[in-house]
Amino acid sequence: MPYSQPNSPPPVPPNRRPPRWADRLLTWFCPPELREELLGDLHEQFEQQVAELGAAKARRLYVWEVIRFCRPYFIRRRVKAVTAQSTDYSSISLFSQTMSISRNYLTVAWRKLQQNRTFSIINVLGLAIGMATCLLISLYILDELRFDRFNIKADRIYRVNTDLKIGEAEHQLATVPDPFGPTFAHDFPQVERQVRFRNYGGYLVRKGAESLKEEGVVFVDSTLFDVFTLPLVAGNPRTALTEPNTVVITESIARKYFGTTQVLGKTLTFNRTEQDKITGVIRDIPTTSHFRFDFFRSMLSIDEAKQGNWLGFNFTTYLLLKKGTQPSSLVAQLRTFTDRYASPALQKWGGTDLKGFEKTGGYIRYSLMPLTDIHLRSDRISELAPNSDIRYVLMFGAMALFILLIACVNFMNLSTAQSAGRAKEVGMRKVLGSMHWQLIGQFLIESMLMSGLALVVAIGLGVVLLPYFNTLANKTIHLVAPDQLMLLPALLGFALLVGLLAGSYPAFFLARFQPIKVLKGAVQSGARKSRLRNGLVVFQFATSLVIIIGTFVIYAQLNFIRSQKVGFDKDQVLLIKDANALGTQVAAFRNEVGQLPGVVTGTTTGFFPVDGWGQNSEAFFPEGVKEAEKALKMEIWNVDADYLPTLGIKLTEGRNFSKQLSTDSSAILINEAAARLLGYRSPINHTIERKRSAKRTDTYTIIGVVKDFNFQSLRQSVGPLILHLDKSEQGIGFKLATRDVAGVVANIEAKWKTMAGGQPFSYSFLDESFDRMYRSEQRVGQVFVSFAALAILIACLGLFGLSAFTAERRTKEIGVRKVLGASTGSIVGLLSKDFLKLVLIAIGIASPVAWYAMNRWLQNFAYKIDIGWWIFVLAGLLTLAIALLTVSFQSIKAALVNPVKSLRSE
Amino acid sequence: MDRAYLGEFEELVLLTAAVLEGTAYGVTIAAELKQRTSRTISLSGVHVALYRLEEKGFVRSELGGATAARGGRRKRLFTITAAGKRTLAEMRELRNELWDAMPNPSLS
Repeated sequence: MPYSQPNSPPPVPPNRRPPRWADRLLTWFCPPELREELLGDLHEQFEQQVAELGAAKARRLYVWEVIRFCRPYFIRRRVKAVTAQSTDYSSISLFSQTMSISRNYLTVAWRKLQQNRTFSIINVLGLAIGMATCLLISLYILDELRFDRFNIKADRIYRVNTDLKIGEAEHQLATVPDPFGPTFAHDFPQVERQVRFRNYGGYLVRKGAESLKEEGVVFVDSTLFDVFTLPLVAGNPRTALTEPNTVVITESIARKYFGTTQVLGKTLTFNRTEQDKITGVIRDIPTTSHFRFDFFRSMLSIDEAKQGNWLGFNFTTYLLLKKGTQPSSLVAQLRTFTDRYASPALQKWGGTDLKGFEKTGGYIRYSLMPLTDIHLRSDRISELAPNSDIRYVLMFGAMALFILLIACVNFMNLSTAQSAGRAKEVGMRKVLGSMHWQLIGQFLIESMLMSGLALVVAIGLGVVLLPYFNTLANKTIHLVAPDQLMLLPALLGFALLVGLLAGSYPAFFLARFQPIKVLKGAVQSGARKSRLRNGLVVFQFATSLVIIIGTFVIYAQLNFIRSQKVGFDKDQVLLIKDANALGTQVAAFRNEVGQLPGVVTGTTTGFFPVDGWGQNSEAFFPEGVKEAEKALKMEIWNVDADYLPTLGIKLTEGRNFSKQLSTDSSAILINEAAARLLGYRSPINHTIERKRSAKRTDTYTIIGVVKDFNFQSLRQSVGPLILHLDKSEQGIGFKLATRDVAGVVANIEAKWKTMAGGQPFSYSFLDESFDRMYRSEQRVGQVFVSFAALAILIACLGLFGLSAFTAERRTKEIGVRKVLGASTGSIVGLLSKDFLKLVLIAIGIASPVAWYAMNRWLQNFAYKIDIGWWIFVLAGLLTLAIALLTVSFQSIKAALVNPVKSLRSE
Repeated sequence: MDRAYLGEFEELVLLTAAVLEGTAYGVTIAAELKQRTSRTISLSGVHVALYRLEEKGFVRSELGGATAARGGRRKRLFTITAAGKRTLAEMRELRNELWDAMPNPSLS
């Protein structure tokens, strides 16, 4: 039908014409026979609207009108027209042809899926598992990367860190002195606001008659709400914390203590005596915040915040920079700032200014850390809460990628294998007039349909598995967080991409076939050995093997740590925290509990060799040494005379502290590492000095040497340690010897209740605390096991599919062999041999890679296993066994078929 | 169903086509409906309705002469068929019967 332009169109300026592209869209979309009248009507209406509403609005309405013409009615009409008069090709546009053929492709693809149902299920399932894993891991990674981004000003907030070296002791702190924040904000106009946090740990908060231990208590400046986005549900953010003895609490705490969030003006009592008025209620801190406090008490309540001590580092300080401020402009001035304020303080303390202090090897260096880096990249002393680690994120990501890769390879392999049997179909289609690109399109649509199906299954799997994953990764991720909706189109695009990739090889390969050769049978698709396919199988198994070996090594290492001789006896040691709540009764309590049956001995100290107890590193001067740069950094723990027997620590030389000898207050025990560091052949009776202040120096005499015991993580080797007889009443440890641990603990608790006056009883066991220190390794171990299982599962699904496919294609060959006298065993061997060869190659490739990677990981530990050959053998055998099992299922089935059946056709 | 189903909008379009006797095509029908119902009427909706009516045999169409106003394109003019008229009449009758059967016809 001719699309005639008017013979003499009146000259119309372009902006008074309907948009050309809209016309083109309509021309493409609508049935050709209606084109003229529709365009005519549209233009007529357009001219009316130009007159009535103006050109601009008319053009907008025109586009809208055209878009509304794109409705299914016209498509259906065109399809109907095509099928009705399919002989008249000339009148059918490319569009309608594509439409109808796509429909046909989908039909054919669906039929193919149903034809090989097992095959399709394996294929789709493998890919779906891979996708689901990838989905969960993406959620995890997104969640990690989202930390602290809920703060509207997140990109302008920086935390000030301190790197400190005094004597030999180096510290990396997340905190700065109390005057730092206010002074810095005052001196530098680029700083809009600053806010300080002072974390004293847990408080007892009174609720009715009893007191509850609350860990989430912190003191903050009133500027908190200017810097961080913490919306108040009650109270005024400007005035909430501007008075001393005020507190802002979270909604859930308000409910917990008062049953309502209408609590403004009510009072909370901390540690029995400190009464704070509630001046605000905020929403609970988001799970993606690097600090999670429940009580924000006013900084004005504490004296430490006003003391102006430039040499105490206890305040976590955040700076909000003005818009457009480069942090580097501030960093450049930190040195002079430090000099200006720290020098007078250093002068008073050590008789030298900052320059002099630096000459002795010490330093005080401040730096700015972006808020959004804290969660993944900060592991300093005095973090407000333990942070995560970017390495875990990367490791998880890499694992997800590998699993997905295995799944994709699988998918490709199976699709390729499957389509190889379709050479005849391709030939036939070509003879009947299919174009090259149409065949390619057909195969691509088929594989994209499969990957689309896999996506649907994957999302289902993801929903089901999310709770387990949350437990595994210690997270609270929801699948449909509104800000993660962009994940869906990404996934869809990804599924299509996988389909495209997986389909591209068979598509281009098969579409090239010469129909005459194929139909004559010259292309023996079955006999073709696909090197690509074999390579892919090797890749799959090599990857799975690396993961399996990794899992073995991690588990062996964890077991090794657990069975390591740590140098102290961690069984049946009960640790009681916050023993100083007993006040003057600490000693009495300890003695009375010591009398209880089942209790062997007890020790009062704040230092136990597990996380959560004191660490105290200081500089010491060996005999005759005065220079600050020759000072030695060592741990010093205040303990009592019962420390060694309670923890079962052995003496190698000298004697333990004695309660009778009053001179023992200046006596110390050192460990073997400290003895080595000091370099005395016989350390007993040597002395070392400890500088307490500019005026005071303590001298200690060594009375004994204890065997090294692990007082830090087993990742580090044992450092030098000094045990000093001094009062330290943060905790009490009791060595028990009983079958009825629960009963003894109940007795101890009863005693506590009579003496502690309502203070909560919190206890732990040394061995449990010890295990907890390696929980992150355990978690990594669990994640590895899950991933290893998934990787093997997917790889085996692929192998299963491939072997099924080969067996099916060699049915005739097997039949003939059987007729000629082959045994079942020889046929199974014949079918399995090829695959097992591939797995063996994979083992050869994977072993060195895994060895290298795991050796790197083990470098993190001071005490580590050797990676024995047995790990590789075990992993290899395991994989081989699984592969053999998978393949033999199919090959035995094939070998058992009665040859009469397989040879009957033709 | 003994008779093709007629939707509310289709019925309106059919009636308008009958009203505009001889000059009924996309633009005029849309304009007429817009004026009478003060609804937003899209040309595409009107056209689809007209084509459906034609498929059902309620209207007949032919291409009219070209006019300069439309860039020289012809327009398709629609006329109501006997079947269309009959259907409209039947629908009206049915409605009247229902109104008559109503116990309290003043409704408000």
